[in-house]
Amino acid sequence: MNVLYNSTYYVASVGLIVIGLYVMLVKKNLIKVLIGLSLFETGINLLLIAIGYIRHGTAPIFSQVDLRAENMVDPTPQALVLTAIVIGVAVLALALSLAVRLYEHYGTLNLREIRDLKW
Amino acid sequence: MVISPVLLIVVPLGLAFAIPLLGFISKRVVGFVPVLAMLFNLAVSLALLPVVLQKPEVVSIGGFSPPFCINLVAGPLGVGMAALIALVGLAVSVYALGYIKEGAQEKYHVLYLLLLTGATGAVLTGDIFNLFVFYEILCISSYALVAYLGDKNGIEAAVKYLIQGSVGSGLILIGIAILYGLFGTLNMAQIAQSIGVVDSLPLSVALALLVTGFGVEAAVFPLNAWLADAHSSAPSSISAILSGIAIKVGIYAVARVVFTIFGASSMFQFLLLLGLLTLLVGEMSAFKQDNIKRMLAYSSIGQVGLIVFAFGIGTSAGIIGGLFQIVSHALAKSVLFLAVGYMVYRAGSMEISSMEGMGKRMPVISFAFVIAAFSLVGLPPFTGFPSKFLIVRAALARQEMLFTVLISLVLVGTVIEGAYFFRVIQVLFFKGPEKDFAHREEAPLSALIPILILMILIVVLGIYPDSLMPVLKSAASELLDRVIYIKEVLG
Amino acid sequence: MRILISAILLTILVLGLAFALAEIPFGANQINSSLKPGRYYLENGVDETGAANVVTSVVVTYRGFDTLGEVTILFIAAIGLGAVLYTRRKQLPEVKPRSASLILQTGCRFLFPLILVFGAYIFIHGHLSPGGGFQGGVIVASAFLLVYLGCAERKIPRRGLSATESLAGLVFVTVGLLGLVYGGEFLQNFLPQGTVNTLFSAGVIPIIYIAIGFKVGAELTGVVADLLEKRQ
Repeated sequence: MNVLYNSTYYVASVGLIVIGLYVMLVKKNLIKVLIGLSLFETGINLLLIAIGYIRHGTAPIFSQVDLRAENMVDPTPQALVLTAIVIGVAVLALALSLAVRLYEHYGTLNLREIRDLKW
Repeated sequence: MVISPVLLIVVPLGLAFAIPLLGFISKRVVGFVPVLAMLFNLAVSLALLPVVLQKPEVVSIGGFSPPFCINLVAGPLGVGMAALIALVGLAVSVYALGYIKEGAQEKYHVLYLLLLTGATGAVLTGDIFNLFVFYEILCISSYALVAYLGDKNGIEAAVKYLIQGSVGSGLILIGIAILYGLFGTLNMAQIAQSIGVVDSLPLSVALALLVTGFGVEAAVFPLNAWLADAHSSAPSSISAILSGIAIKVGIYAVARVVFTIFGASSMFQFLLLLGLLTLLVGEMSAFKQDNIKRMLAYSSIGQVGLIVFAFGIGTSAGIIGGLFQIVSHALAKSVLFLAVGYMVYRAGSMEISSMEGMGKRMPVISFAFVIAAFSLVGLPPFTGFPSKFLIVRAALARQEMLFTVLISLVLVGTVIEGAYFFRVIQVLFFKGPEKDFAHREEAPLSALIPILILMILIVVLGIYPDSLMPVLKSAASELLDRVIYIKEVLG
Repeated sequence: MRILISAILLTILVLGLAFALAEIPFGANQINSSLKPGRYYLENGVDETGAANVVTSVVVTYRGFDTLGEVTILFIAAIGLGAVLYTRRKQLPEVKPRSASLILQTGCRFLFPLILVFGAYIFIHGHLSPGGGFQGGVIVASAFLLVYLGCAERKIPRRGLSATESLAGLVFVTVGLLGLVYGGEFLQNFLPQGTVNTLFSAGVIPIIYIAIGFKVGAELTGVVADLLEKRQ
């Protein structure tokens, strides 16, 4: 139990990933699926940041002269998450524009009904 | 003169940024920008190829040394694939000059050029997160391009493609996160060096996530649900690029992860079976189709299965066969989709039955279709024959019962392929409406020139396959030989 | 049936992740050897790039190629969105937007320049404090969103946005190419580093971040405009 308490951030991020994937797999409404996608990506970003955390570390900014490099957290995952967030935003923007056009064509956002392309 | 391989990525990128500005000056000239960019890329990659055959060129971005910066590894595999991307990209961009007439054309050309830039960057990079970023550039441009025409089918296909592709990308990112957590680095060579020091369960999880994630774009079974819709609903020039290039980048990424980074020989059997399953599912589904573009899309899935099967054989000969198959499929499938583009346009429908007599109406295009179909099935003297022959020979060289059984199943797939292609050829040439058309409505020159160039290559490579062998052999050894790869990058 | 399959797949995923993450203890110091890039960036980042914010030097200098790719992805999304919504704009009739409440109308005129300045501050000082091009650009775009919501009769020039986007992207690529010409490698720093913690320090980093700030701001404003209004 102590392990779980120590790694709250891991539990939270895996939880978000699982909830996001569940929403994407099970829900019928396209907007809900996109919200699930957003949750999924948020969970992944949180996981990346949590992996980079070093206990008792502070932000990697040398704003004062007496800050030492040993006390700082890993800067690389923060750079990675910066990129990943932007990628997530880009995909979401494109997906929402597609949702707008899809609604115009079909009149519904129910994915089970949007099956014009058959087997 | 030594040209830095960075220019292969940066010049098309800069030109793509400049296209909207050029569009303010003149709308007509924007179509030529991708042509120029791909000509440049083709020239540079062909010039670099003899240099990197001996020793891969490692370029560090930013002036620091790997692993503290992002590095490009311009080896025979990377530069060879960049040349293939430039060639097919050039042909399809010339085709698009005449084919893309509606919609926001300037945006089409920007997205198209960026798709090719993403593909080129993905095959040249030596850093796994950089691979992810360029792979995302490829994927997101393709989501937008599938939806380009704005029709019902296109938008629906694009939405499904986007959702599945994004899940795949997310899985890749989780895999990268685990790798970073274990090793503290993102450089492919450094990760390859450190593997073996750590316990194997987290590594297997990371490998599974990465292969699944990249496998979505590579369209291996069971992750291929998006492909039939996307490739058939996109404009035909985009279908050609997706089937010809985008899938190959997915396969490249899987190969790079499995062979160079992980060196996971335990995956080989899995790849073998997965490839076979994908091949059979693809070919059998293609056989049932009435829609010609869907048929071609399922055929692409089948070919992907064949390539993955070839990689799964695990020997250098298998990989050479797989790489050769990548080249022949890229050439043949592009010709098929480009030809079908105009056939569908003239016939007004994508049903095979509506193509009756097309052989008389558009003889050159139909002839090109026949040649490319023969090549895909694997008939000599076209390029599909040496590639399939190499794969069969590599499988038999393993001398195990399993391989003989598997390769016979592969040949069953080839027979099915032949069946559905011959059915189309029969409709094109031998079933004709009795009333003859007053004139031949051939496709415009902008379509014929690229198709002819690709056809010439299909024939030349079929007759002289040895011209490609030095490149393929070095590429295969670059993929397999991890020790040399690590030494080249890290010193 | 669907729920059952999803539950099985998700359970496998959770178990896999749990076993993998068990090897990566939370808070453990993974970058303890100087061979790891993380440690290298913390120890040498300030000396080599001149930026006080190590994350900025990682994003722009050490992993600048990723940032170039990221900028490209946002560009693709904006262009793709424009392409997808293109035909729609010509078909739909013009709809007069509902006028906003009094608070919003007065507030937006007052807040718009303030938010712009705040966003610009964030992306100009990216090398000194947390923030940078992307964050500042998003804040600038939110200022324009406020204008769309509050004083909708003001029209934002679409051609100006498109031109800003492309020019800023070209600035980034050009700075990289100048690094190739003057420094030897793409994106190498060729400007003097200056003293740490001042505004004019860190070589090309402020230039790149300002370009990114303009680009992201123009792009996201364009995205909002595409989704909201009819093209002229």
